[in-house]
Amino acid sequence: MWTFIVRRILIMIPMMFFVSVICFVVTELQPGDFLSQYLENPRISPEQIESLRRELALDKPAYQRYFMWIKNIVTKGDFGYSFSYQRPVVELIWERLGWTVAISVLTIGFQWLFATLMGIYSALHPYTPGDYTLTVLGFIGLSIPEFFLALVLTYLVLRLGGTAVGGLFSPQFIGAPMSWAKFIDLLKHLWLPIVVIGVSGLAGLMRIMRGNMLDVLGSPFVTALRARGLDEKTVRRHVIKNAMNPLVSIAGMELPNVFSGTIIASIVLNLPTIGPFFYSALLNHDQYLVMAFLLFIALITQIGNLLADIALALLDPRIRIS
Amino acid sequence: MRKVLLLVLALLACAVFATEYMVQDELLTPDPSPKTGGTLRLALASTPESFLLYGTLDGSSYSVIMGPMFSPLVEMHPVTNEIKPALAKSWVVSADGKEVTFRLREAYWSDGTPITADDVVFTFQYFVMNQYARGNSIARFTIPDEKGVNKMIEWVKIDDKTVKAILPSPYGAFFTVLSHVYIYPKHKLEPLIDKNDLGSVNKVWLSNTDPKEIVVNGPFKPVQLITDQKLVLERNPYFWKVDRFGNRLPYFDRVEYLIIRDAEIRLAKFMAGEIDFMAISSRDFPMLKEQELTGKTPYVVYATQPTQATPSPIHISFNFDVDDPELRDLFRKLEFREAMEYALNRERIIDEVFAGLAIPDAGLILPSNKAFYNPKVEELLRPYDLKKANELLDKIGLTKRDKEGYRLFPSGRRVEFNLLVQNSPKEYQDVAVIFAEDLKKIGIKVNLQILDASLVGQMFGASNFQAGIRAFGNQPDLQLRKAIWQPGTQLYYWHYSTMDKTKTPPQPVFEEMLDWEKRIWELFEKAQIEMDPAKRKAYYDEVQELYHIYLPVIFVCKGMNIWGFNKTLGNAGVTEEGVPIFTVWTSYRK
Repeated sequence: MWTFIVRRILIMIPMMFFVSVICFVVTELQPGDFLSQYLENPRISPEQIESLRRELALDKPAYQRYFMWIKNIVTKGDFGYSFSYQRPVVELIWERLGWTVAISVLTIGFQWLFATLMGIYSALHPYTPGDYTLTVLGFIGLSIPEFFLALVLTYLVLRLGGTAVGGLFSPQFIGAPMSWAKFIDLLKHLWLPIVVIGVSGLAGLMRIMRGNMLDVLGSPFVTALRARGLDEKTVRRHVIKNAMNPLVSIAGMELPNVFSGTIIASIVLNLPTIGPFFYSALLNHDQYLVMAFLLFIALITQIGNLLADIALALLDPRIRIS
Repeated sequence: MRKVLLLVLALLACAVFATEYMVQDELLTPDPSPKTGGTLRLALASTPESFLLYGTLDGSSYSVIMGPMFSPLVEMHPVTNEIKPALAKSWVVSADGKEVTFRLREAYWSDGTPITADDVVFTFQYFVMNQYARGNSIARFTIPDEKGVNKMIEWVKIDDKTVKAILPSPYGAFFTVLSHVYIYPKHKLEPLIDKNDLGSVNKVWLSNTDPKEIVVNGPFKPVQLITDQKLVLERNPYFWKVDRFGNRLPYFDRVEYLIIRDAEIRLAKFMAGEIDFMAISSRDFPMLKEQELTGKTPYVVYATQPTQATPSPIHISFNFDVDDPELRDLFRKLEFREAMEYALNRERIIDEVFAGLAIPDAGLILPSNKAFYNPKVEELLRPYDLKKANELLDKIGLTKRDKEGYRLFPSGRRVEFNLLVQNSPKEYQDVAVIFAEDLKKIGIKVNLQILDASLVGQMFGASNFQAGIRAFGNQPDLQLRKAIWQPGTQLYYWHYSTMDKTKTPPQPVFEEMLDWEKRIWELFEKAQIEMDPAKRKAYYDEVQELYHIYLPVIFVCKGMNIWGFNKTLGNAGVTEEGVPIFTVWTSYRK
């Protein structure tokens, strides 16, 4: 087990390197640079643009800038400065990470809870009206773009007389010390982004769970269990446990999905997560900020996969042995 | 402990009594019974990147620094654009116009320290005139001396409350550019910067600064910044303005900026009454106005006389240096350009493209700019008249037509040109389409060349176009737009042969200039070194007239500014002439 984990971690190093090269090339391919946005700004003279270009090292060839950046990461753990905020990118990302993680984790929890329950129900009652209803609901969620769902729900909430829309708190609670009233206010706001972001992934997970369940239900070991006279409750427990296997292995992919999936929804719902921040960094050509964020996503994808593999190993003895 | 507290209170009282207050005029405080207290709620599009104006180029930072947090030496009146005393209570210009001595007001920073000449000199030395500061203003404070050599304006401290500016030569726009310089506290910032590394000024007072460290001389000081959610400012007890009844300004206790990235959500919050004042896009105006007329909304919206540099007024240009000799001759004929203006249907463009929310008489200077606008240009505008346009074209010998009805040059070639337009904003293309339709009616073929904005910019910059549609924003003082409207400069793009680009800095080429271009060049030079506002206005009046008589470019129209106000705001609205009235220090909650 330990050699397995160590080997996986060692593979991650060259992987991250390749990812960084690809990301850098892609950001370089974007036409223009950070200073393009100031070319027609009357407050800024052409000489000023030139001196800024030198200061930010944008006059150097791309490969030089890349190696400078990588060198600083490896030797000093410095992921570079944001061109616009003039602060270390790690600090800026860190400032915005809290709510991003909180919303992502809650969303994944919501997705998994509902998707597995819906999948189990559908599998145990296949081809019944209940099964069809859940499937249709799931697919509607899958097919509606997040930003649209966000707008529709916002509209409905406002129509029904609610006011808690957009952001995570009402203005008077932003920055106020934590209190019972503030927590209630948070709950009033929080459900909306969780539903909006979560619903899109629901159908996929639910279908996987349903398929697995049906597979396992038809397999010989279930027949064997039933033949030995085990009661239906115990049989179901075994079925569910086995059907969860493939779900666990794709769990690693879920985290980055939720992270990047929140971008548009966060803009529309005015959430203080990293998504909108990353989006404007992309538009502004704030390269090191973009790169650090992409590396971060790559890293959590890999860590997510590793954790999923470990979880799977714990769940399924066959994997542990091989 | 109590003694210390009493001492502090006594000192505070002294400072407050010693302050030489400035009285805000009636234009900004029309209401005789304002109320104090409460919170003003505004919107910001993103977290400010810095609280130091000169260390950043960020728009959100500008909007919270300029006005709400810091003050300049002289300020431009928000309604009339006139220059008024601010941190400097008075000034004297020497007889030769090369020395300006400012007497500073008895006023205090928000921590109670007096504002002195040291702060002014420090601000200029390390920020305004520091070439490593990102948002520096060196270009605006560097002017040629008598010999034509560019020199910086020097600042000298005379005593604690007196500071002198030494100019290389008289500089007409001096007070206008000075009204954009916000003074920063030396006692707070000097310890933070490394004098051996002047780039270090960009790293102070960034978005991670504890708001308590930030000391201001404007109406409000920051107290809390919650990343991407909210910025809170509180009243500065030492602010140096009072209203005309003697009440201390500002009226509001707090200003809260909600940080909202998405324009639709900002609008929704405004419509719900959660934001008191903001700029509205012209696209949303009809819907908001319709709702407002039901009487149930918490807000009012006004389409006001444009007062700002944006949206830029659109103009049409014809390249005097175009490669094609026949077109070049044609474009240089005044009758041709006059015919083009007669063929320009401004009314239809304003109606259809701008939904009625634009003004036609906007050339170099906006009508709302009382300091410099010359109303005579309105008479000079040639109204839409295709008959006159046809007559003028006949007069210059373009009488023959081909089978399709297009006019022919004497050589027998069709009169036809490419009109270069960038693909965004969309208004530019719409204007081009309408213009081309009308030109077809008078027998001239226009090929629209609609391309990506950055590419179009490069083509204009390389004089690689025949005719084009472009826009440059208006500024309060024409001097700040010299680089565009004076012949022989970097953005006089329709006649680049008037500039010798091989020299650094580029030099004007007088042999290439037409007579009226020489006159315009001269007027700009005269106005630059004239300190008397009346004489400067006379020079700029003539420039405006020349532009409308000789039509180097044909101005189309300028979009109006649209503002939304919450109905509960007092001292906020528009003047009879349609100019918006609103400042953070004079508005209050009714």
